[in-house]
Amino acid sequence: MPNNHCILSMRRISKRYGDMYALSNVDFDLYAGEVHCLVGENGAGKSTLIKILSGAERPTTGSIELFGHSFPFLTPDRALNLGVATIYQDVELVSSLTVADNIFLGHERCKAGGFVDYAAQRAATQELLDTLNIHIDPDEIVANLPPAQQQMLQIVKALHHEAKILIMDEPTVSLGIEETQALMNLVRRLAAEQIGIIYISHNLDEVFAIGHRVTVLKDGLKVGTFKTEELDEHSLAAKMIGRERSDFFERKRVKIGEPVLEVRNLTAPRLANNVSFTVHRGEILGFGGLVGAGRSEVMRLLFGIDQAVSGEVLLRGRPLKIRSPGDAIEAGFCIIPEDRKKEALLLSRSLVENVAIIKNEKGNLILDRPGERSLVQKMIERLSIATTSMHKIVGQLSGGNQQKVVIARWLESEADIFIFDEPTKGVDIGAKRQIYDLMVGLAEAGKAILMVSSDMTELISMSDRIVIMRDNTVVDIVDATSVTEQSLVEAFLGIEPRGGKEHDGAIG
Amino acid sequence: MMELSGKLKHLFVSRQWVFLVLVMVIISIFTGAVNPRFLTIRNLTNLLSQVAVIGLLACGATILIISGEIDISAGANVGLTACIAAILMRSGMSSPLAALLGILVAIVCSTLIGVGCIIFRAPSFIISLASISVFKGVALALTSGTLQMIMGRMEYLGSGTVLGFIPIIFMITLLGYVATHAILSYTKLGRHVYAIGDNPRAAFLAGINIARNKIAFFALNGFFVGLAAILLLARVGAAQPTTGSGMELQAIGAVVIGGTPMTGGKGNVVGTFFGVLLWGLIANALNMLGISPFWQEATMGSLIIVAVAITSLRALAEKSLLA
Repeated sequence: MPNNHCILSMRRISKRYGDMYALSNVDFDLYAGEVHCLVGENGAGKSTLIKILSGAERPTTGSIELFGHSFPFLTPDRALNLGVATIYQDVELVSSLTVADNIFLGHERCKAGGFVDYAAQRAATQELLDTLNIHIDPDEIVANLPPAQQQMLQIVKALHHEAKILIMDEPTVSLGIEETQALMNLVRRLAAEQIGIIYISHNLDEVFAIGHRVTVLKDGLKVGTFKTEELDEHSLAAKMIGRERSDFFERKRVKIGEPVLEVRNLTAPRLANNVSFTVHRGEILGFGGLVGAGRSEVMRLLFGIDQAVSGEVLLRGRPLKIRSPGDAIEAGFCIIPEDRKKEALLLSRSLVENVAIIKNEKGNLILDRPGERSLVQKMIERLSIATTSMHKIVGQLSGGNQQKVVIARWLESEADIFIFDEPTKGVDIGAKRQIYDLMVGLAEAGKAILMVSSDMTELISMSDRIVIMRDNTVVDIVDATSVTEQSLVEAFLGIEPRGGKEHDGAIG
Repeated sequence: MMELSGKLKHLFVSRQWVFLVLVMVIISIFTGAVNPRFLTIRNLTNLLSQVAVIGLLACGATILIISGEIDISAGANVGLTACIAAILMRSGMSSPLAALLGILVAIVCSTLIGVGCIIFRAPSFIISLASISVFKGVALALTSGTLQMIMGRMEYLGSGTVLGFIPIIFMITLLGYVATHAILSYTKLGRHVYAIGDNPRAAFLAGINIARNKIAFFALNGFFVGLAAILLLARVGAAQPTTGSGMELQAIGAVVIGGTPMTGGKGNVVGTFFGVLLWGLIANALNMLGISPFWQEATMGSLIIVAVAITSLRALAEKSLLA
């Protein structure tokens, strides 16, 4: 159990990006030997808080007290030297080197003449692994280790550098049950050795299994810090959500028509497991779940980016075989991917080239340049894209306008199934509203819309029905008008509903 | 006045060729002052026929570099193609047919590089690097290492002029540039060149078949390489396996001088055209100024470094100007 020796105290931390506060007046403290969990929805401010503590970001206001010294902000160097180590989800190891090489990377033990003393490194690594009761061969190449052991190795590396505070950001996302258990045992042992641990997880089971205290963040504000024994899963989930009704977007409902796309038992190893659903004309079908639940993966299968091994996709009752995005577009699909910079935009090319790309694919070998220009002009007006010229380089537009460019390229195509993957990620509020209006307009025009969203208000207010996914399977499909945020979050997390009460107090 | 200077600044920053023309004018005035022979029609004709071959190679190189690929075997491909065309001509085949078959060989060679990159998922740099030896080796085997003279065949092409001073081979190169510019700016294929070079992932998600397009880019490059080989053969009147060797680097240098970055997705063939002219002009001027050939090579190399520096400075200026 933790003693009351406070090793970290963050006071009135605020972080502003433009006009938005990612954090405002958040207090956070940590005792030696404590596992302090940090929970909240996507965008609640967890990552920002962690970035400030690891020195990656500077707070706009507030102060940080570490081991009795006060700082206005930290730098990555200073944080490391003071013993703050962050273990990120994506493992940061050199996968082509051995375990021992990674532990000593950048601080190699050398013999005379600058040669690395491999024997000494190996011995020291073995000793460190033994004390932690971790069974990994110091000579193994890191690439050959399973993900869980790579995670552990990162922790070992941090301990080797005498970390006194360990920040773990969703360490179990890619791990199986047994691996998770092993990792949690390690966390417990470290806490027993008076290391302070900040543990971020969406998995509330883990929070209750290893946390001493839990701090809940919501929309950049601290809801409170609680002792885990004073809460249960339901009361914790309730603290994570609870939002003003005014945050919800009141959308126009449109008549839902006949089925357009039926997906039956779509399966691909590690991407989707027996996924089935149907989407109708005029319907916005939301896809909810935690990050990594397999929602985008399903979209990628439908769009032909990855290939399913079994299952059927029926378009207006006829089986469809899609082998590439080209096939998908031909069949009437279009996609607005989550990462527009990596997957959709030609950042160093003009608006014209970006918007007309789909129209040109269907056109002749010789470009219809006047046609291109009039299309782009029309789109700039229709979507009110803020740009000085249609020849402006897309990389110079704001996030919201870039998203509009991606949407614009599909509007004149004869697509009738729209896949929106996180449609308003990184988009300002004004543009967000316009994108919502546009999506409703598409539904009104009889298009079928698949919308993956991690934004709870967006998911509930925009969807007609919501497909709930967990671990690459569909666990439920619910009517969006009859769910509460709490019941949805519980379904995402896999908490058993409490005696059917979850349908009470439905929204709009 | 302020507005005018702003516009001028913009012109210089956004169009590398304006800058290149300015440099050419300065060099011409200086060289002409030192050696009046530089400013004669005869020298101009000479200069234009010198740049014709590299100019065509640079057309293909521009397309490939914008699309994010590179072919460093273009020089060796020129050697092989020229040898095969020469052997065919010597065997009694009519010159146009032999030239056509030669161009076909170049297209096949270049296309194979593209196919290799796709099948083995390897960078084109590596595949074309290895191809240098293959092409050279085949040329050596076919010629047994001997010089293949074509005895005045295609002389009309090699030394003919239009209007009395513009070499025919330069006119062909000029047509090549018009064609390349038309392809890049006015066709779907051209848009694919830029799209794939800028963001292959996004191009793929927009339904563009990456493999098929890349093969087309390499085939197009092969056409320009083949045409360049035939012009070279016509101009020199003979071929051997080492013919064309090293030309690819001059062509790539001209592309870079023309402002097309090696990172792909950006650039145009107008810049390359002036890059090639500048390259030829400097080589010619160094001769006219009586500079030792040993130093000429070093000067030309340094020129590429200067061009890279200007390109990156220009990118910075562009950023600050547009910000």
